[in-house]
Amino acid sequence: MTSITSLATEASTAGQRFDDWVLERVRQRRGPTELPLAFEYRHIYVMPTRFGFWFGILLALTVLGGLNFNNNMSLMLGFLLAAIAQLTTLLAYRNLAGLRVEAIRATPVFAGEEACFRVLVRNPEHRTRFAIEAVSPESRDCRDIAAQNTVPLALKQLSFERGWMPMEPFRLENRYPLGLFRAWAVIIPKAQCLVYPRPATNPPPLPKTGRGDHGAAHPGEGEHFHGLREFQQGDPLRRIAWRTSARHQKLYSRVMESPSEEACELNWYLMGSGDAEEKLSILTAWVLRAERRKIPYSLEMPGAALPTDLGDDHRDACLEILALHAS
Amino acid sequence: MNDPGRKTILWVIATLALAMLPQLVSMPLAVALIAVAPLAWRIGSERSGWKPLPALVRHGATIAGLAILFVSYGDLAGRRAAVSLLSVMLSLKMIECYRIRDARLVVSFSLFLCATQFLFGQGILMPVYGGVTVILALVTLTQLQRSEAWSHEGPAPAVRASITSEIGFSLRLLALAVPICMALFILFPRLANPLWGIPDTTLDSKTGLSDSMSPGSIQDLFMDDSPAFRVEFAGAIPSTDQLYWRGPVFWRFDGRTWEGSFYFKNIEATSVPDLSGNTWEYSVQLEPNERNWLFALDYPATTPPDTRLTLDYQLIRSQPVIQLTPYSIVSSPDFVDMPELTGPLRLQALDLPEGRNPRTQQLIRQWRRETPGDKAFIQRVLQHFNNEPFRYSLNAPFLGVHSVDDFLFDTRTGFCEHYASSFAVMMRMAGIPARIVTGYQGGWFNALGDYLLVRQSDAHAWTEVWLQGSGWTRVDPTAAVSPQRVESGSLSALGTPRHVLDYAWVRGVRNSVDIVQQRWNDWVIKYGAGQQARLFAPLGLGEMTPPMLVGVLAVAILVFSAVVFPIVMRIKGPSSKDPVQKTWQKFLKRLRLAGYRARPSDGAMELADSASRFLPAVSGPIHEIADLYNRSRYAMEPPPLAQFKQAVRVFRPNKNRA
Repeated sequence: MTSITSLATEASTAGQRFDDWVLERVRQRRGPTELPLAFEYRHIYVMPTRFGFWFGILLALTVLGGLNFNNNMSLMLGFLLAAIAQLTTLLAYRNLAGLRVEAIRATPVFAGEEACFRVLVRNPEHRTRFAIEAVSPESRDCRDIAAQNTVPLALKQLSFERGWMPMEPFRLENRYPLGLFRAWAVIIPKAQCLVYPRPATNPPPLPKTGRGDHGAAHPGEGEHFHGLREFQQGDPLRRIAWRTSARHQKLYSRVMESPSEEACELNWYLMGSGDAEEKLSILTAWVLRAERRKIPYSLEMPGAALPTDLGDDHRDACLEILALHAS
Repeated sequence: MNDPGRKTILWVIATLALAMLPQLVSMPLAVALIAVAPLAWRIGSERSGWKPLPALVRHGATIAGLAILFVSYGDLAGRRAAVSLLSVMLSLKMIECYRIRDARLVVSFSLFLCATQFLFGQGILMPVYGGVTVILALVTLTQLQRSEAWSHEGPAPAVRASITSEIGFSLRLLALAVPICMALFILFPRLANPLWGIPDTTLDSKTGLSDSMSPGSIQDLFMDDSPAFRVEFAGAIPSTDQLYWRGPVFWRFDGRTWEGSFYFKNIEATSVPDLSGNTWEYSVQLEPNERNWLFALDYPATTPPDTRLTLDYQLIRSQPVIQLTPYSIVSSPDFVDMPELTGPLRLQALDLPEGRNPRTQQLIRQWRRETPGDKAFIQRVLQHFNNEPFRYSLNAPFLGVHSVDDFLFDTRTGFCEHYASSFAVMMRMAGIPARIVTGYQGGWFNALGDYLLVRQSDAHAWTEVWLQGSGWTRVDPTAAVSPQRVESGSLSALGTPRHVLDYAWVRGVRNSVDIVQQRWNDWVIKYGAGQQARLFAPLGLGEMTPPMLVGVLAVAILVFSAVVFPIVMRIKGPSSKDPVQKTWQKFLKRLRLAGYRARPSDGAMELADSASRFLPAVSGPIHEIADLYNRSRYAMEPPPLAQFKQAVRVFRPNKNRA
């Protein structure tokens, strides 16, 4: 899984072979990219696009005709366009130079789903960057980055198996302003996305061996007001109790609750012998079902166990244990 | 997706339409229609949402277009025809241009089309045309690039830049490219000899005098005010009645049309004037006309390179004149052309078709009996033109089989070719050898530029008769009818304007303004391998060889780049009109007024947190605005812009604080 896969998506054309060659060079020279990375001249490559190549041939024909017939105005037109094309190499380079790749984030997905890596790109300068594209083998995204702004470029990548999925190498590039030249920088990210096991499509019913504290309400998501607590990073904005906060000059969040009926125990050892991945799939489906039905659940796995609880954090912790289970 | 977008397609059409414009004007009407129709359809389709045409209709249109082109031009080998073909094909491409790739192809070839237009003329308006075409193409390519960048996500985000700022950006780009373009233009090694020539068959836009003369042929030129050539005299300028610019000479007459003969065109002059006597020295800038004649005053004593001097003193160039051609000549006006007229030449100069013009024949026989001397006879004929009510006019009636009879006895109205033709026929009938010379007469002297401008409308026809002792002698019968024609030019001789804008003062302004064109020709259009080699002669350096030029060019480009590149690095792109960002800036300004300094590195939420700590009284609104900003920016379904604007509008941190 750590090997560098190519950025080529279709049959490899000359352009793609060149891109692969550059990628390989970057990998050998500099290895994985340390973030944050500010683009300097040595990170940025500039080459004509396919359109730029044909445009160049057309220009050469114009100039050749002008030379042959000593037609000075067609010569001048050819030279003018050539000079403009030359300037656009600089503009394409400048549109990329100085950008900073701050971080790459990804929220976990279930195996088989598309992971979405969000590449945070910051433009620290006082000018807009136009049409900056992120290109990975599977996906691309494009944004203008306003002056002194940070923008997430989303790159999707299909996940296959549970565990940590490394992000594939990608390019930040642009063909600004005329599309004649492409300036790009290669990034070999260390970012990875947690992939949960694929939930079983038709799992057995939940093992309701309730032994938790029946009837107690569980704070977390729900419709009923539970109480106030000091605002913490990550609390949704709509939960902020503006009036109370204003009175106390401190931010408060509302805590919600939902009543609980029973509890269940999700136990690896009680599932008999079977295919490990299948068992993980079923456990994943149970976690999701219990969460949906607001039934508190506990998880016991080889080398890890979580007590009965309910809520997003609990669910994520359980799913992570399942995802990283060493079989 | 890969859809260029509606606005961009209109820009593509505009670029193509402008690039095509000069060609369109020169096209036959049917071809012009087929060149415009697809563009009109596409504009309508973009405005009214018409569906793309089915393949059958598209292919049908292409075949119809080709057929109309072929029928209109005869064949497609000519340069005009080939460029029309390119125009029509590009235009037809617009009915199936739904991808960025196709749009780019159309824009690139529009620029190529623009370059081909310079083959037909490099007048002073052409740089303007070229410049505007380039600007349009740059704006279009910029938009296509934007569409391409967003092509996988659907249409590019709503217009972020105004058209004026996009045009401004293209103008800046153009301006910055000019120094490097000039360096390339001046120093890029030119070809002393062309790699390949243009076959004569591809020349199909001939202008100016033709290789035959029939009634009406010069009259057509009379409507054409384009410059034929410009002349700078080294010494004194001959008087107006001496300014006969000699062109094609015709010997053979079939009763209606005068033609040169292959035989005479190909015999070299046996004697060349010497330079000892009275001479005129001048250099000519001949405008391209796709013909082979060079024009000179009688009689050319020197021959420009690649040119031969024929027996009847025509200057015939080996290659047609397809671009502005400069040449220098010395003429000797006192030369005696052919003191002895030998047998075959005399026969040719007396030959007339049988059984034509009996009335004239009778008249001449009678006059000849009364006036046996050649010179006296010529005077008598000229007096006849002068005394009888002959008129010099554009509206010459049609002449029948006995064209000279009709003209002399009935219509008595005609242009110079009618007079020259009748006079020559009358001379031949009387046994005096005669031939027709066509060319230009007079010209307009531009005092500011110190040169003589000769326009196509100065085209003229006169006769030469052979007299014992003085050889071939010029006689201009038109002068007998309308002395004004020779003294002050054909236009003033006519009296009535040719069209609504044809006034003397308009012509005066046009003639004066021609100096701009003359200078442009001198400095830019004429520049070639010769001038390039002598480029550094004033600095005491010898001839430049191509490797030396390339060396200087490399240095020049480096120097210019050192100047231009830092400017490019500061050039602004099309300015942002993003309303969300503007509102956010307004919010930041309010915070600044309240004393809070935002760290540039902070994102919206971090900024909201730290600003709330600084201004706790308005922490609610701050968070609300930051949230609205983030959602306007990044959310799949952004909140209405008005809500964000309203939130910022009522945000008054400095008041609340007090």
